Amino acid sequence: MNVLAGTRLLTRLAVRRERTTAPWWIVAVVGLGLTMVAYIDRNMPTPGVLATYAETINANVFFRALGGGTSVIADRGFMTAWRSGGFLYLLTAIAALLAVVRHTRADEDTGRTELLRSGVVSRFAALTSALLVAATVSLVAGALTALAQIGAGLAPFGSLTYGAAIAAAGWLFGSIAAVAAQLARNARTARAITLFTLGISYLLRYAGDASGQAWLAYVSPMGWIHAVQPYRHDRWWMLAVLTGTVAVLVAVAYLLNDRRDLGEGLLPERRGRATAPGLRGPARLSWRLHRGLFTKWAIGIGVFAVGAAGIGTIVPDVGALPPDSFGLLQQGFGSGGNSADYVDFFLWAGVLLFAHVISIYPVLMIQRLRAEERSGRAELAQGTPMTRVRWAAGQLAVTALGTAGLFTLTGLVLGFCYGLFTDDLPGPLVPVLIAALSCVPAAWLITAVSFLAYALTPRFAMPISWAVVVWTAVLGKIAGPLYNVWGGTPFEPFHYVPNTLAGQPFSPFPILTTLALTALLLLGGLTTLRRRDFGR
Amino acid sequence: MTETISVRGLVKTFDATRALDGLNLSVKTGEVHGFLGPNGAGKSTTIRILLGLLHADAGTVQLLGGDPWRDATELHRRLAYVPGDVTLWPGLSGGEIIDLLLQVRGRVNTSRRDELIERFDLDPRTKGRAYSKGNRQKVALIAALASDAELLILDEPTSGLDPLMEIVFREVVREEQERNGRTVLLSSHILAEVEALCERVTIIRDGRTVDTGSLVEMRHLTRTSIRAELSRPADGLADLRGVHDLRIDGEIVHFDVEPGTLGATLRFLDSRGVRALTSSPPTLEELFLRHYATTCDSTPEAAR
Repeated sequence: MNVLAGTRLLTRLAVRRERTTAPWWIVAVVGLGLTMVAYIDRNMPTPGVLATYAETINANVFFRALGGGTSVIADRGFMTAWRSGGFLYLLTAIAALLAVVRHTRADEDTGRTELLRSGVVSRFAALTSALLVAATVSLVAGALTALAQIGAGLAPFGSLTYGAAIAAAGWLFGSIAAVAAQLARNARTARAITLFTLGISYLLRYAGDASGQAWLAYVSPMGWIHAVQPYRHDRWWMLAVLTGTVAVLVAVAYLLNDRRDLGEGLLPERRGRATAPGLRGPARLSWRLHRGLFTKWAIGIGVFAVGAAGIGTIVPDVGALPPDSFGLLQQGFGSGGNSADYVDFFLWAGVLLFAHVISIYPVLMIQRLRAEERSGRAELAQGTPMTRVRWAAGQLAVTALGTAGLFTLTGLVLGFCYGLFTDDLPGPLVPVLIAALSCVPAAWLITAVSFLAYALTPRFAMPISWAVVVWTAVLGKIAGPLYNVWGGTPFEPFHYVPNTLAGQPFSPFPILTTLALTALLLLGGLTTLRRRDFGR
Repeated sequence: MTETISVRGLVKTFDATRALDGLNLSVKTGEVHGFLGPNGAGKSTTIRILLGLLHADAGTVQLLGGDPWRDATELHRRLAYVPGDVTLWPGLSGGEIIDLLLQVRGRVNTSRRDELIERFDLDPRTKGRAYSKGNRQKVALIAALASDAELLILDEPTSGLDPLMEIVFREVVREEQERNGRTVLLSSHILAEVEALCERVTIIRDGRTVDTGSLVEMRHLTRTSIRAELSRPADGLADLRGVHDLRIDGEIVHFDVEPGTLGATLRFLDSRGVRALTSSPPTLEELFLRHYATTCDSTPEAAR
């Protein structure tokens, strides 16, 4: 059989299906690039300020490793690429790996590939078209970023190198995904393998640059991308090495693809347990079903809390802040006198930022109730005495505890690591933990609002709950300064949490009010859920 | 004999469509009751109301002496349910799901559970996402049959099973009914399955009950459809007792015959020089076309 048979057709199909996905990834990559240019231009407007910043950054190990390499230079183009922390590479890599899995293993899972392969379509056609589409999307994202950067007045050669590195990130992780799609037996595992590789290689790269152990960065695929160093070294030979690696990976993928049966993989499908004596009752079911989500969140929050603590070590060294900024911080984040310093405000802003991110977790958990209801799985469960109020209450209990767990983790890791990095243990540990825990009731209130929306109008629950998260963040104290409203607005629950880190007195009243409101909304939600029709 | 399920004048409307329009259903304790109707007749909607998942708009519903909407939790301790389209949790194995469904109902009879897994030939360690439709159905069936619930509500339980597994299913249901006196509501659109298991049936169409009674009373359900090729004219066939719906198409005759007069009819065919003969049970579709066509055409819905 002609190895290319059907490739053209499948590629056209893949392009047609990408119409609603790929453009958004490209817009995100180019947009993030331009945002970084605007950020550098606003905060480091003159060469003098830029040089001061570069000096401050170079003095801090955690900060200078942020964007790859072990030092920064005072160059506008370099700083825009550096400051993105490699996120343009990450975004392109994720877009490419998802596209490759979507057009290979995911189609195989659903049986669509079987349908197509019964026609004149070679066994390589799906893989080839997936790689072509992912490579093209990466290339377009890189090329448009290069053009946008040149348009913003940055060095043309450096911009082209930057664009090429962005495309290379997509190619590299697209080809890793192509291999993973042959190894795994389902799309979920293929995605997990590739995303895990991406995450580990990003962490290795950061750890290598921050610790000075260069070999850590060299064993990481993400490290090779960062080693291109656009606007500084412009290492095109590194891009040649990357292209060679991609060629080898693609060859491996084709070899594996040729040797396996349709629907089969090289890794055995994991089997479950034959019995589950402990699986009784709604809370345990909820935990069994959603413990994976919690674990992913706990790892993510833990890693970012370490990172935030590391980056925060630059705060005591910051000397170039305008003199009135301290007053703005007091106005924006609250304080109980003048005993607080920049570190206190940094830690509190960090806790609030984490609070907004953690609020997404309970919202996802509530959305899973709707997914269970729609899929018909909840119907199977509700043929038993686990009827809907108990079923929902189990999920709410797991959600509430999980949310509290994530806040505890944030407080512990952020407080401990900051103390560790600044030689001040146990110093910030307990205060940061208390600050993090005092945010829990507000996050529970967001949970309750999402749950009430699910109970009342299941069909609109998803947009409503996302709107609640965005509303809380946009009107909050973190986003407020972006549009010059220091202190946020009183229309979101985190507004009422006292800044105990900066010495504001702890008062039980706002917490009790939030808890009472939460209980009321949950009760309303459960009553409504009890009364409406249940099912698809 | 007491009634386990009693439904009178049930009405349920979804937006503009009237899914149930005055449905009646009566299931006696200890019987296997067939709930027959073509796709979209309202079988699953009725069952969801019986489970308290949907709220009835009008009519009375009694289940195990309680109100399915109000007393759902208590009633569900005493019943087990197999949905028509079984969806499983992708990350849980079949064994875990069976245990979950049994344990939320109460005590688990492990030997009974293992025996059924063996008889239905299910691999309990496979994850939910990897099961075929038939195996998903087996998971739900085993969980229901291994429970000690006094009422089993089965919504088209064999639609994904292969013929061998269908036989196992019939055996197990028969044993349950005979040995443990369980009541079974079996919804189906396959007449043969209902005939093999049920004493009484309720036939519904467009959300209404069109017929109900025991299979013995409903003789039209147990007729045999005959197609025969004769060498001599079939004069007099129409006058034979027990022959219905006769169509003569040249040398070929089509008709339905009641079980009691089958012998006499065959002798008649012999006397007319029968050259070819096929006999089969009538399908539900044929019944609806022939027997219930008039019943239904008189209703406004069926007139469209």
